[in-house]
Amino acid sequence: MGNMKIKAKVKGDTLKCKIQAKHIMLPYNAAKKKGVDANFITHIMGKIGDRVVFEASTSQFVSKDPIFKFKAKAEGIKKGDKLEMTWTDLSGKTVTESKAVKGL
Amino acid sequence: MERRKFLGLGLAAVALVPASVSAFDFRKDKPDTWTAHKVDEAIKALYGDIKAEDTDKITLKVPKIASNGGAIPVSLATDLELKSLGVFQDANPESAVIAFTIPDGEKVDYMVKIKMKGSGEITIIAEGKDGKFYKTTKKLEVALGGCEG
Repeated sequence: MGNMKIKAKVKGDTLKCKIQAKHIMLPYNAAKKKGVDANFITHIMGKIGDRVVFEASTSQFVSKDPIFKFKAKAEGIKKGDKLEMTWTDLSGKTVTESKAVKGL
Repeated sequence: MERRKFLGLGLAAVALVPASVSAFDFRKDKPDTWTAHKVDEAIKALYGDIKAEDTDKITLKVPKIASNGGAIPVSLATDLELKSLGVFQDANPESAVIAFTIPDGEKVDYMVKIKMKGSGEITIIAEGKDGKFYKTTKKLEVALGGCEG
């Protein structure tokens, strides 16, 4: 745990989310200098139940410990629902964490 | 009656699942995009040979001068109905930065922090649901490059 900071809040008809993933996001060039393998998040997805609310394929040029903010429709989100974020990195590691949606 | 309703709901949920879990990984499907060295090439690899029209309907917010190239906030918002959104820049060795897959009918309002080696231009290509492509660009200056070479 502690790989991700997740905030999800419903305001009016909008679900506002802010995610910070803890990741080194080491690009190829920098990795070469250091003599280690490059590693960065390649895919990140956010779900509420079965509904996908956010999905992105990322490259090495997303910042270290990347922050993502996004909005989605609040329609259909009930109290107690959780925002589940999953990311996969180049080494194949997958991390999933979830947090209850606030503001309901 | 209650039971019938319940079963009906279950069926509806099952029917919806395949559509909503169709994960789209651009890195697996379009591997060439991420190794392309020029913005044009990256766009071609991602979307094919397209003609994107310039639009002012996509709001792209970047700082005029970024003091730290290691974390440049890029905000994107639009009311257009989109399928996907690609972010490219021309300062780093490779061009593609991020490709959003927009879930059906969702709002498009994103913020992400990116790295840039130096001053350059950010290009956004949006794929509309109507099959059209939209484009918007913005130049920015980077005071301190953050890509470590």
